[in-house]
Amino acid sequence: MGKKSRGDLIQGTLDMLILRTIDRGSMHGYAIALAVERRSDDELRVEEGALYPALHRLELAGFLKSEWKLSEANRRAKFYQLTTAGRKHLAAESANWNRLVKAVARVMEAV
Amino acid sequence: MNWWLKLRRRRQLERDLVDETAFHRQMRSQDPDSPPFGNETLIRERMRELWIFEWLESAIADVVFALRGWGKNSAFAGTIVASLALAIGAVLAIFTAADDLLFRPLPYGDPSNLVMLWETNRKSSGTERNAVSPDNFLAWKARNSTFEDMAYVDEGQSVFSDGNRSVELHVQRVPPGFFDLLKVQPYLGSLDNAFDSNRDSESDVVISYRLWRDWFGGDPQVIGRSVQLDSFPRTVSGIMPPEFSFGDREVDLWPYMKIYPSEAHDRGARSMKVVARLNQGVGLGQARAQMKAVALQLERENASFNKNWTVTVEPLREAFTQRVKTSLLLLLASVSLLLVVACANAANLMLARFCARRPEMAIRAALGAGRWRLTRQLLTESLLLAGCAGVAGLAFGRYALLGLLAIAPKSLTQTAEVSIDWRIVVFAIGVSAATGVLFGLVPSLIGAVTSSDVDAKSLTGWRTLSSRSPRAWLIAAEVAVSVVLLAGGSLLFRSLVKLQHVDSGLTARNILTFHFRVMSPHDVVRFSQTMAGIRKLPGVRSVSATSFLPFDGAASATTVAIRGRAEVQPGQARSVMVRTIMPGYFQTIGIPILRGREFNDDDNLPQAPMRFIVNEAFARAYLPGEDSLTQSIVVAMARTNPPGEIVGVVGDVKEGSLDKAPVPTVYYVYSHMPYGQMTLIVRTERDPMALVTSVRLVMRELDPKLAMANIQTMEDILSSTFARERFLALLLGGFSISAVLLAATGIYGILAYSVSLRGQEMGIRQAVGADAGRIVRMVLAEAAWFVAAGLITGMVVAFGLTRLLTNLLFETPPNDPLAFTLAPAILLIVALIAAYIPARRAALSDPIRALRFE
Repeated sequence: MGKKSRGDLIQGTLDMLILRTIDRGSMHGYAIALAVERRSDDELRVEEGALYPALHRLELAGFLKSEWKLSEANRRAKFYQLTTAGRKHLAAESANWNRLVKAVARVMEAV
Repeated sequence: MNWWLKLRRRRQLERDLVDETAFHRQMRSQDPDSPPFGNETLIRERMRELWIFEWLESAIADVVFALRGWGKNSAFAGTIVASLALAIGAVLAIFTAADDLLFRPLPYGDPSNLVMLWETNRKSSGTERNAVSPDNFLAWKARNSTFEDMAYVDEGQSVFSDGNRSVELHVQRVPPGFFDLLKVQPYLGSLDNAFDSNRDSESDVVISYRLWRDWFGGDPQVIGRSVQLDSFPRTVSGIMPPEFSFGDREVDLWPYMKIYPSEAHDRGARSMKVVARLNQGVGLGQARAQMKAVALQLERENASFNKNWTVTVEPLREAFTQRVKTSLLLLLASVSLLLVVACANAANLMLARFCARRPEMAIRAALGAGRWRLTRQLLTESLLLAGCAGVAGLAFGRYALLGLLAIAPKSLTQTAEVSIDWRIVVFAIGVSAATGVLFGLVPSLIGAVTSSDVDAKSLTGWRTLSSRSPRAWLIAAEVAVSVVLLAGGSLLFRSLVKLQHVDSGLTARNILTFHFRVMSPHDVVRFSQTMAGIRKLPGVRSVSATSFLPFDGAASATTVAIRGRAEVQPGQARSVMVRTIMPGYFQTIGIPILRGREFNDDDNLPQAPMRFIVNEAFARAYLPGEDSLTQSIVVAMARTNPPGEIVGVVGDVKEGSLDKAPVPTVYYVYSHMPYGQMTLIVRTERDPMALVTSVRLVMRELDPKLAMANIQTMEDILSSTFARERFLALLLGGFSISAVLLAATGIYGILAYSVSLRGQEMGIRQAVGADAGRIVRMVLAEAAWFVAAGLITGMVVAFGLTRLLTNLLFETPPNDPLAFTLAPAILLIVALIAAYIPARRAALSDPIRALRFE
């Protein structure tokens, strides 16, 4: 049971991070991983084993759409981009997240 | 089409994924700080699980894999399918036969409220379901408040004629309102539902769907047509639906018959069945209590007739199934045991194959297949086999059912409508699926499937067969169940053999019998002309007739008084069976005349004085230590009963069936007690059935309208009295032999496997000087413990279970020592043969080859 709930948390968080990262434009998987790592000052590391299933899950859910384009290095790569539904989902998730962080912070400070 | 698009998209997705991860990996490799790329196969597996058709695809993959696997091991798969198909087929056949009687709702409205009412004599056993007298029926109906309605059913046979052809048919004479009580509707026409209606429905007859189809060709214009029943005109008023019957599927006619209080008393004897519908909300207990009270009143009011008689109230289904319920339950139980053995055998074979596939499973586990995934693979394989077995079993079951019905006793076929319908098919699917799950899960249940035992040993296969392996336990279980079945089968066979050796009291060989209606003076003339005509036929030794044949259903019964003796107390009357016979009866049927003489033609003249012949049981019971031939008796059969002297004492014949004791019997000569229907008996030189054509010719010459009904040989009649015993013994024998053979293949399989694994060891043993006998003994010893364990368990269980057979056995105790020696002996011999073959092979194998191997 414990194992499962921790997985869910990470999964949900990763989904949110992905959506937030590509908020500004289309990106390929590797760039998403790098961006998350850099912006978190390397605190967060995105495993490939989690990243690609998450991308495809989000795509299946209709939050992302993808197309094959040439990368900066002039190689074919699959670029992901937010859909309208994805944008709404991101907004909702962010709001949730902020509430959660504040709530946790309040609890932690109170102690 | 959708799935094809999906499949195409699926391929696209797969390609994309490969490209995408390749790109990622390449980018990573250019970055010196990044860790190595993760497990790509794992990513791909996870991705695939996301795609919706994943489960379907893996199921298809499992099936394809299973098919390929079984294709390579077709003998192995064939063995499992064949043994399961046989067992499933047997289960289906038995279940189908039992279905109608035990499980299917009766074809009436609200059948749970229907009951049968019987009279029961407290002092006399065997009268639990005695017929009811019309007098008592009317009293019951008038005095109860627990039943909504009550009706009688008077069963018999009548000659049905449309003016051109005539045939004798089974009839149930019922009051108007009978069909309403059962809440059934006609297929065509109308049913008279009011006893007191003004319509004269007593001239109406309701016919069966079968008669309508076969006789009238399904003509809807038949309603209102005039027919003749026992020479009385009747009008066809309704046709019942095909599934309708009331306890006897042979009945084709339901003529209405009203019994009025004024005439009920004259009808006298207990002769009718009574069915009733409970009032809504009235329980069986309440109805019983009230009927007992009514019976007590009747006992007081009419002590001479009702002394010791009370009422039995029985739910309708129980009344219909009582004769066959035990047998059917026994068969269901034993055929289920057979299926269990077949399952154990299949599980055993699966396990053997699984052991051989351990390296494969270990590799798949190492590559990331979970325990559930492997179990699912095995389940797919077993379900596939079970599915094949189910289909084959259904096909086989249909033929098995035909065979079953061919040897089934009349008590079963007469009451049950046996047919395979969708419910049976559903049942077959259920049984097959359950079977597949059962034997497919065994390997994983006993812990054979675990991803943790990836080690070098399992990669090279199992080297040794532990004698405590699960397979050995499975075989021990097979042996145990087989012993139980064998014990039951041997007991029933013992009982059957004993029954077949009972002296019936007559010489049944070469006797032809058939019914003859003698309703009018015209018929009587035809009757004697027919007898005379048959007597002249070549190959005929003698001809006679009787009112009721021994062993063929009902006979009249009444009480008797002996002249010069005090009247007996009510309830202690001397009861006797009564038969009317023609002169020459005893000689023809082969009953010995012990004292005195047989009736002659002079006795048969109407003006001749009353004379009787009695059987030995009569003399023993009512005239002990006296000379019967000097006595006169009065038999209460008619309104006036002149006394008659006893002119002969004849040998006893069993009454009803062979396992019952003979009953005191009085014989009338025909002219003094004529019956409307007589059974002609013809003793022949050779095969009695060969004479049927010439007898029919004789009758046709006399009168084209004479019907020759119920043609049977005496031997058939006699053997049908133990049809149930024969049926049970044959089936249980078949089941137990199948179970033993399955167990034998199991024993053979496990030892052959063990021997093949120990080839090297055997080689070494032989090389260092072990002789063939020693090796054979060694292998046999390996089998000994599980065979012994199964044998002992089986014997203990059988010892307990065979008690349930007590009621089905004749002069055989449920723990009959012979049966309990025979069962383990048969099993031991078969087991020994099954074990000896691989043992012998081990002993004869070439040690050099065994040593060189690997």
